[in-house]
Amino acid sequence: MRVVTGVVGNDVHVVANRLIEISLKERGFDVYNLGVNTYLEEFLDALIETDAELLLISSLNGEAEGWCRNLKALKSKYNFRSNPLFVIGGNLGVGEMDPDALIPKFKAYGFDLVYHQKDLNESLDEVEEVLKQRIEV
Amino acid sequence: MKIQNMPKVLFDVGSTYFKVYEEGQISHYFRDFTIPIYQDLKNKCHKTIESHTPEEIWICSSANGGLSTLIIGSSHSFSLKYTVNTAFNSGINIIDTMLYSDIDTANPPIEKIDVVIITGGIDGVKDIFDSRLFEYLKKVTYNHIVYAGSKDNIEYLSNHIENLVILDNILDNRLKINEKALKQYLTDLYQKDIMAREDIKPLYQITANQIYPTPYIVNLSLPYISESLDVADPFIVIDIGGATTDIHYSTDLINDNITGEGGYDRLVFKKLGVYKSRESLIFTAKRNEYVYELLNYLGVTEDIFDSNSKEAVKFLMQLAIFLVLYKVSRHHGEYIELKLDILNSVVLTGGISKVLSEEDAVIIVKFFYKKLLNFHNTPDIVIDRNYEIWTYGMKHLHKKDKT
Repeated sequence: MRVVTGVVGNDVHVVANRLIEISLKERGFDVYNLGVNTYLEEFLDALIETDAELLLISSLNGEAEGWCRNLKALKSKYNFRSNPLFVIGGNLGVGEMDPDALIPKFKAYGFDLVYHQKDLNESLDEVEEVLKQRIEV
Repeated sequence: MKIQNMPKVLFDVGSTYFKVYEEGQISHYFRDFTIPIYQDLKNKCHKTIESHTPEEIWICSSANGGLSTLIIGSSHSFSLKYTVNTAFNSGINIIDTMLYSDIDTANPPIEKIDVVIITGGIDGVKDIFDSRLFEYLKKVTYNHIVYAGSKDNIEYLSNHIENLVILDNILDNRLKINEKALKQYLTDLYQKDIMAREDIKPLYQITANQIYPTPYIVNLSLPYISESLDVADPFIVIDIGGATTDIHYSTDLINDNITGEGGYDRLVFKKLGVYKSRESLIFTAKRNEYVYELLNYLGVTEDIFDSNSKEAVKFLMQLAIFLVLYKVSRHHGEYIELKLDILNSVVLTGGISKVLSEEDAVIIVKFFYKKLLNFHNTPDIVIDRNYEIWTYGMKHLHKKDKT
């Protein structure tokens, strides 16, 4: 199964990005890692070029809120052949914020699954489970 | 093509000048447009030509005006961007692009296209294209058509598009650029185009070697530039010609996902030349928000746009430098954005090296840096006075072919 991953916005957390890539490969995914400092459009373009079934965006410095709020509008301009699952995880908020409000907020932006400060392996287990269910359906 | 002898003579046949390199010396001749290129070259350089064998003479040329291409790709960030980059680096001058998802609303180009390039998807991805592509192509007039996308679409496209040339996918299996096959194809096509031009064909009477596109040769020259000129990386080379203005830049100056082989990329501004495209240069300048400040800064009035004086030519060249920097800066979203704040050197070549003094060039670069970037330090200006940059690529091309 193909996955496009990377770190969104002006965020250079390359170690976390590499760890995610390694974890995904260990689980048998074919990984297209766009690296750090990636624009939202580049993620969606990569889905078109690879037909990946999963987009996994990470964000460590809280910038995702600014960079991903147009996801829904942007998605509507694309015709994805693979019906990809949109996932975001990492440290999604900074400063004064309500952590409980983050997940619905990012879901409203257009993500299917949202993980804030959650263990990587636990999150990936859940992602795999959802992907499995999608295939069965 | 393998050659046996070291090149003793190099010619660069441009749209306005001939440049000749012989025994370490470079000479320039303004073209006589009333007679064919070959005759003009023979008249001006007969001694050089007669005293060397065709094997010893190497020629590059941009006198065909470059080729035009229409690129159809499936995304801006990958297939289209990589293909545009490869096309510019191969010497293509005029590039139109179409995102495949816009095919229902896109207007086909009116002019005849030299080569249409279709691309999209890594290998393994299929069903990118459908019958809409074939309907669209019926409305496009072109000489050649190539496919450089996912190999899983080759059969479908080949069955529907006549004379489709199949090349390696521009995207490798990690979404990185794989430019070799397309670059070779486009460079060969350029050569074939030159060979077919009635005014250039006769040049093969004086050389036994391939005639290369000049922009391709200049791009090859860039890694060797600091051996002869006082240039520090990262740098840009601005080549202001009669018809177009080219910019070659270190890829260190871009934040991008392209990691090609050369380390230097090329971009063409097809309407910013100071001779054949003078009118469009002026048109672009008049619409620029800084033009009146610039006129004031240089101590000239708007009347200079209508003048044919030496002063006006100098001004137009300064204007071309300013507009090129403007178009690759963060003030202009349409083109690639270069990190001009870390630029160390600006190398000026082309006709400009014969007209502008260093002071003239420094003045305009300073204006740009101070006014638009709010910087007081500017990159060093290096003027290729001898107009020799192209010779570095020609000499190394020979070494490359020998190995």
